[in-house]
Amino acid sequence: MRRLGLTILAIVVVLAAAAAAFFFWPHGLTDVAEARSRLPTGADSVKRGEYLAKAADCAACHSVGSSRPYAGGLPFHLPFGTIYATNITPDRDTGIGQWSDAEFVRAMHHGVGRDGRDLYPAFPYASYALMSTEDALAIKDYLFSLTPVHAEAPPHQLKLPYDQSYLLRAWKLLFVPRQQFNPDPGQSTAQNRGAYLVEALGHCGECHTPRNKLYGLDSGQKFAGAVTAGWKAYNITSDATAGIGAWSDQALADYLSKGFAQGHGAASGSMAEAVEYSLSHLTPEDIKAMVAYLRTVPGHPAPHELAVAPSPRSLNDSTHLTPAPAENDQESLGLEVFQGACASCHGFDGTGVNDPRAALAGSQTVNDPTGVNLLQVLLQGSRFRTDHVEAAMPSFHAYRDVELAAVANYVLAHFGAKSAQISPDQVARARRGQ
Amino acid sequence: MVDLNINGEIRSYDVPDDMPLLWVLRDVAGLVGTKFGCGIAQCGACTVHVDGRPARSCVMSVSAVGNRQIRTIEAIGRDPVGQGVQKAWVDLDVVQCGYCQSGQIMSAVALLNVKREPSDADIDAAMAGNVCRCGTYPRIRAAIKTASKV
Ligand code: FES
Ligand code: FES
Repeated sequence: MRRLGLTILAIVVVLAAAAAAFFFWPHGLTDVAEARSRLPTGADSVKRGEYLAKAADCAACHSVGSSRPYAGGLPFHLPFGTIYATNITPDRDTGIGQWSDAEFVRAMHHGVGRDGRDLYPAFPYASYALMSTEDALAIKDYLFSLTPVHAEAPPHQLKLPYDQSYLLRAWKLLFVPRQQFNPDPGQSTAQNRGAYLVEALGHCGECHTPRNKLYGLDSGQKFAGAVTAGWKAYNITSDATAGIGAWSDQALADYLSKGFAQGHGAASGSMAEAVEYSLSHLTPEDIKAMVAYLRTVPGHPAPHELAVAPSPRSLNDSTHLTPAPAENDQESLGLEVFQGACASCHGFDGTGVNDPRAALAGSQTVNDPTGVNLLQVLLQGSRFRTDHVEAAMPSFHAYRDVELAAVANYVLAHFGAKSAQISPDQVARARRGQ
Repeated sequence: MVDLNINGEIRSYDVPDDMPLLWVLRDVAGLVGTKFGCGIAQCGACTVHVDGRPARSCVMSVSAVGNRQIRTIEAIGRDPVGQGVQKAWVDLDVVQCGYCQSGQIMSAVALLNVKREPSDADIDAAMAGNVCRCGTYPRIRAAIKTASKV
């Protein structure tokens, strides 16, 4: 009996020690001198790093608006609290000015801060873990070439136990790849380059792949679409109805590089940001490579109601400035609002009136009866910008909940042939950011 | 070099592909009747016709126009609908400061070309994107109705 007791005690002690070591043993640093020696020096590495930083879309999260790029401060409201993006300019006190090469690479690959603390995976190191060490160092060189900005990020506000960052070590064990990207010899050079851009740099899956109960990416549903921060990232698998299987290469390339494609509408919200800050800066070859890789992602079907209606009768019966006669005969608040506020740019036949980006036919947003992105666009507006051109849809938040619900239902019926039931309540919730 | 068909004349313009049409019209072709208001497709001051349909020239790059026909306010009086609108505008004294009015007229003509006798709702649908800081909206509506009857 006593022997048994001792054995159990021993086991408990060993387990406790192992757990303590697992959670609290300081993270080591890997020597990255060899990778450093393979990199060009000076301006060449900075230039390479600048391109990679764009491909990795660092600016979208590490800046607030377009003021003070890379100085951090953007809040992320998550189910377990709010965390803030950090300052990654080379300021010595509040930025990364004192970080060594090895510390920077450790953060990118393992999500560990300079002080050894575990970082929250809103910083997509589960994707960046696939990045090559040289590319990570080139990004560091670029960031170190920026003007230092003195800006302290506000401290995270997280609920217990999520504020215990060491617990992330268990999460990392499950969800962070332990190896950098390895080209697949069975795939073409372009497909491999695309895979690297999509998976390691672009971290597309962080929004487009649904998360499981542990908030890790559900690899069984890769790119099947998910709602992140109030916006729906659509299914981008090769499924012909639910995903992008039926899109032409040109349409995909246009959507990625310009934020809209003929017959598929325009990107808005987080995707418009990804295009503005990241994708529109990539070379045409890299965009082509991404398209080539996306084609290889296995299709993941979705419920039939979500499919894009190919050519709704209501569009064919309309002209660009007048709705189908059958609609005109009905009294409808939705039509009334659309006529007064939307039609002069979007038109009724889906081709867009004043700007091709305003064409709604084929857009997923007007075909999704849950109305997630539609309400976001109505409430927040949408913006599109390149070096030469900026176009914007204003926010319609001044309209009442009933009016926005009515116009959303009208739009889903008219442009997507969907009978949607968006309620004023749902609009109110979207307004409150719920 | 970009070839553009403006008011029936095809000419080559030495401008970058992604230059907004409005810049070419005003600064290169010298057609300053079309106005710059917001530059982001919000006000309608820059409206022209591209193949007969209204377009915001401030956000449309010349490469997106291609070989389609551009019509500006300078040539709007060349057909009966345009003339009717011009006359109604003068008869009802629609204009106040005038800055938005080229765009208003372009949108009004585009509407009358697809709907000869537009209802109030049709006018709302076609004209809501043309902002007038002077608030001439009631006279614009009345003038469109007058023009629709000739
Ligand atoms: S200047 Fe083009 S819409 Fe305002
Ligand atoms: S007449 Fe002055 S802005 Fe319209």
